[in-house]
Amino acid sequence: MLQKMKKVQVLGPKKDFQSVVDVLYHTGTVQIEDISKTIRPGDTLFRKMEIEKGGDIANTLVKIGGIFLALPKIKYDTQKQQQIYEELQKTSHHDLLARANHVIEELESTTKDLALKKSDLEFSLGALGRYEKIIKKIQPLESQLPILEGFEVTVILIQREFRDVLDFIKNALGEITKKQFEIISADIDETTIAAVIVFNKRYSEGVHSLIFSQNVNEVRLPSEFLGKPFNEILQLISIKRTKSIDEMVAIDENLVKLSTEWYQELAVLKKVLDDRNEEVGVFGKFGQTEYTFVIQGWIPKKYLQRTKEALKDAFGNRVIVNELEVSPEKMDEAPTFYDNPAIVKPFEFLMQMVSPPQYQEIDPSPILAIFFPIFFGLMVGDIAYGIIILVFALIVKNRYKMELWLQHLMNILIISSIPTIFFGFIFGEFFGNFGEHMGWIHPMTIAGITWNRIEVLVPLLILAIAIGVFHVFLGLSLGILNALTKKSKKHAIEKAGMIVAITGLLLVILAVGKMIPEILVQPGIVMIIIALPLIIYGGGFFGVFEIMSTVGNILSYARIMAIGMASVVLALVANKLGGSMEVALVGFCIAALLHILNIVLAMFSPFLHSFRLHMVEFNSKFYTGGGKMYKPFRKEKEDETVK
Amino acid sequence: MVDWGIPIGAGIAFGLGAIGTGYAQSKIGSAGAGTIAEKPETFGLMVVLVAIPETMVILGFVVAAMMMIMLV
Repeated sequence: MLQKMKKVQVLGPKKDFQSVVDVLYHTGTVQIEDISKTIRPGDTLFRKMEIEKGGDIANTLVKIGGIFLALPKIKYDTQKQQQIYEELQKTSHHDLLARANHVIEELESTTKDLALKKSDLEFSLGALGRYEKIIKKIQPLESQLPILEGFEVTVILIQREFRDVLDFIKNALGEITKKQFEIISADIDETTIAAVIVFNKRYSEGVHSLIFSQNVNEVRLPSEFLGKPFNEILQLISIKRTKSIDEMVAIDENLVKLSTEWYQELAVLKKVLDDRNEEVGVFGKFGQTEYTFVIQGWIPKKYLQRTKEALKDAFGNRVIVNELEVSPEKMDEAPTFYDNPAIVKPFEFLMQMVSPPQYQEIDPSPILAIFFPIFFGLMVGDIAYGIIILVFALIVKNRYKMELWLQHLMNILIISSIPTIFFGFIFGEFFGNFGEHMGWIHPMTIAGITWNRIEVLVPLLILAIAIGVFHVFLGLSLGILNALTKKSKKHAIEKAGMIVAITGLLLVILAVGKMIPEILVQPGIVMIIIALPLIIYGGGFFGVFEIMSTVGNILSYARIMAIGMASVVLALVANKLGGSMEVALVGFCIAALLHILNIVLAMFSPFLHSFRLHMVEFNSKFYTGGGKMYKPFRKEKEDETVK
Repeated sequence: MVDWGIPIGAGIAFGLGAIGTGYAQSKIGSAGAGTIAEKPETFGLMVVLVAIPETMVILGFVVAAMMMIMLV
């Protein structure tokens, strides 16, 4: 069932405006409407609410968020946070911003400096590690290097696959330095070669530009390492590393100290600012006069009292909630809010996949919840298949708890597996005719018919069509109700005419087919004659064609029998093929494979067709859809600490 | 002599229905895939639209099965 909605107006003095929005945000029951659209241009008394300080809050939030991230995480102190939260909740935007700015002043520059310094140190530690690795690898080459005054040493790294570049560089260096150079190379790991080049300082510029032009990775050692023996460089690296680590430890200690002092407050500030930022975002939808504000929105009737009480507790009689009178036409704009029992929820999801109902329409979900499993069960109708589908759905449901859509689909399968097992008993099917073959189960005899599906084709077809007639008539009856709710007399008459016409047509067909007394032909014809003007009055001349389309809809229910038959035949084929094998294991495997295929098809095809019978044949008789879902103004995800 | 008329008739009833459904589904399916790529929220509607032409093959199957069971 859909919940009744009320259109409300919240009015109060402007000084309480931000606090009222805050209360509404935390009550989370009102879907806010944009009142500014109703303001006449040039109206000086009633104006749109200007967005104030929105930018300030957003900027402050970014700064607080930055500081919060820079500080090391410490355990949430729920009690302390709750205390700060309650305190901050009550503060006005202005005071909240002042407090946040105070925190920013205290922390921003310190944390920024510390974080920057730490990241510099981390970078330099990384670089030192790289230098150390390279120098350790090329250290054995040091003995081969000539020790000459006025010579420069540089190290280049080359990918192994481009080792040919080395020869080219050698030749080019010879030309640039007039052969006053030495180059020694060695592999430093599986992919890289390091080459040490010693050359006369006079050609420094030329050599470096050559290396740059070849796009070769040159290891630029810091100036304090230049000209020093590798051993000494390694010692220097080690000293520098220890110093950097010590400095980082000191920075971390400082940050932890700041965190201990400020972390809880920052966490709450961030949350409250986040909420306020959300709230500021909807300010533009409100209206104001000189001293008052006006908020307008939709609220489910059952939440109205709760919302009124929340506002009364916070503001007494200063803020009032007006229930607005809305004309039936305007009620079409009301959002759709379902309030179905848990068993119907998965079917609500199916309805929403296509189109949610409009506010004034009958919600088809409960009807879907009744007929969908019955149709599914009639189509699959096998005890073993039903049990396997049930177990499969339970496993998937437990395994993927976070996937909401999968949960809904599996719930539908679980619900549908029960009629499947039930009809399995009636049809006497357990893996097709396997149960009957083993003597475990036999088709039941109801109304003088033994419901062995493969043998009772015609009774099954009649049953399917009868279900179709009932279902379509139910749809048309709901259509009459919908039309009466919307005060659309023409539509109601058209639907009623259609019921009479189809009943007349059925009487004629059944009487001519001698399934009912032939005398009923005349009443049937009379009914059709009476129905035609009603249909033409309600739906125009083309409404007559709707009769044929409705007959087509009813015939479409034959799929309940047809898909069921297909499923039985495939099960029989599986059993027959498996049984005809000489090796029992091979026969078992073949039968099992075919049954698995049939079960997979059974989960898909009857599901889809059952759904389609509702969406196309049934819903087309009364359902328009295209409703807007109820989206209250509230926080989507609750914080795990502060509630 | 074997009467081939009924099985052939049943085959035609089922086969033509299947061809018709297949053709219609190929058109609807490709258009639907394009629509879903642009608007993923239309998935549910597209599933229903693709299933609509299956009525033809199902009724074909019903006619074929009735011919085979009731006329033979």
